[in-house]
Amino acid sequence: MSFIHRLNSRWRRSWRSKQQQAKAEEPDHKLVLEQLDRQKAFYENILNKLPVDIAVFDAEHRYLFVNPGAIGNEEYRKYIIGKDDYEYAAYRKRDISVAHGRRAKFMEAKETGKEIRWEDSLRNPQGSTITHMRRMFPVYDENGELSLVIGFGIDITDRKIMEEKQAALVTQLSARNTQLIDFCSIVSHNLRAPLVNMSMLVDFIESSEDTEEQKMLISKLRPVVDNLHATFNELVESIQVRQDLEIKRENVSLDDCMQRTIDGLQTEINKLGARIETDFSEASVINYPPQYLNSIIQNLVSNSLKYHYPGRKPLISLKTQKMQDKIILSVSDNGLGIDLAKHKDNFFKIGKVFHRHPNAKGFGLYMTKTHVEAMGGRIWVESVPDEGSVFYIEFDNRIKQAS
Amino acid sequence: MKSIFLIDDDPIFVYLTRRIIGSINCPCEVHEFKDGELAISYLSQMREEADSLPDVIFLDLSMPVMDGWEFLNQYSELKPKLKKDIALFIVSSSISPQEVERSKNYLAVTDFLIKPVEKGKLAEIMGNEKEPTG
Repeated sequence: MSFIHRLNSRWRRSWRSKQQQAKAEEPDHKLVLEQLDRQKAFYENILNKLPVDIAVFDAEHRYLFVNPGAIGNEEYRKYIIGKDDYEYAAYRKRDISVAHGRRAKFMEAKETGKEIRWEDSLRNPQGSTITHMRRMFPVYDENGELSLVIGFGIDITDRKIMEEKQAALVTQLSARNTQLIDFCSIVSHNLRAPLVNMSMLVDFIESSEDTEEQKMLISKLRPVVDNLHATFNELVESIQVRQDLEIKRENVSLDDCMQRTIDGLQTEINKLGARIETDFSEASVINYPPQYLNSIIQNLVSNSLKYHYPGRKPLISLKTQKMQDKIILSVSDNGLGIDLAKHKDNFFKIGKVFHRHPNAKGFGLYMTKTHVEAMGGRIWVESVPDEGSVFYIEFDNRIKQAS
Repeated sequence: MKSIFLIDDDPIFVYLTRRIIGSINCPCEVHEFKDGELAISYLSQMREEADSLPDVIFLDLSMPVMDGWEFLNQYSELKPKLKKDIALFIVSSSISPQEVERSKNYLAVTDFLIKPVEKGKLAEIMGNEKEPTG
């Protein structure tokens, strides 16, 4: 007997007894049965049309009723009545773990006697993940015996997708916030410092009456203004990288990139007698925004030259390695190296400078990191003080289609 | 004669501060260190020699190699071993309230000064330092 029938017979009994009390004479049987059928159709229709999954179990976790929201196929829906999830899983040749999970929830509801709630995610035949918010609660009869357990589920896939999007957004926002704090600190230190110097110099110039002294003070303004200008440009550049989310990738030849870098640094290379070796045999082309790749290589090579070990001719080698859908570019040198034990945490931070060098501002590696991460890559370093450093950059080499 | 240590990598600011100190009527000598590491190794070497230690330290925060914060970490450990009581002022171009708060964690810090430091403020510091502090 189906669940609906059972309910109906219960209603019918109570309805009858009321009718008998009210009208003891002779009930019009035909009319009553018609009314009952209409009622049955009415309630069944509601249960069947509700856009939720409804399943009703007996005390042994056997199905008494499922609506089309839970099982769309009529044949399967008929099969399951009187069966449990294990039998159904075998019938549908499905993984038994789902049945284990449902049994555990059922036992929880049965044993606690309380409503339980959970979320579950399943892959539908189309391969997308469907998430349901499920509830299950026991129903007791007049004697306090467990008569039914009702379960229902609502598809919350849309909400789930939204939640995931929001979580991703929160992560992105907090990363942006960290950048903003970095940025404030850099504005404060690197932009405000030269401004303070300028205003102090101007104060001195104004209060001085000695022309020679004034000239000397004015000559000190030039490097401060230049420094402010350079810092400002680098900051603007770093913001632009962060905003350039739609930047175009191209197939960039590493040899071309190298040539450009060597041309730009020729004077220093000659002065130091530096040797530069390249081995791009594994990967000679990287799909990347050309200006970013140029900037990355130019920056790393120029760092290797800048922080060469005094009296040792710089030897810089660049090499690519191909790994599945990634390309790793390494840039190694025999320079000063860096004490990573001391500086590991802030290695690529803006404004961090590790050597006493007049032109070190702490922007180079920060910019390189920005250029790498903006395109979903990674950068890291290995180094031994007084022996040299190796920088590694991992590029995502899956060709991305421009949307 | 007062001894002042300027720990700051910015040559223009050091030059300007020297000029302001020079214009205050207070006989003193100024030593400069271009980063925290140079200063801490000097202080550590001279910790027993009160005559070689400064009366006042002006410390910048943003410096290469060893910045002001790392200097403060090491200086806080060194301070009890120093044969002189030294007043230490952070002198920074930073206007970040977080940095001011952070500096309060260091007992060794007398005050946080934001650049530019007025002549009057410097004179006051030098004046206060005339009194033997201990």
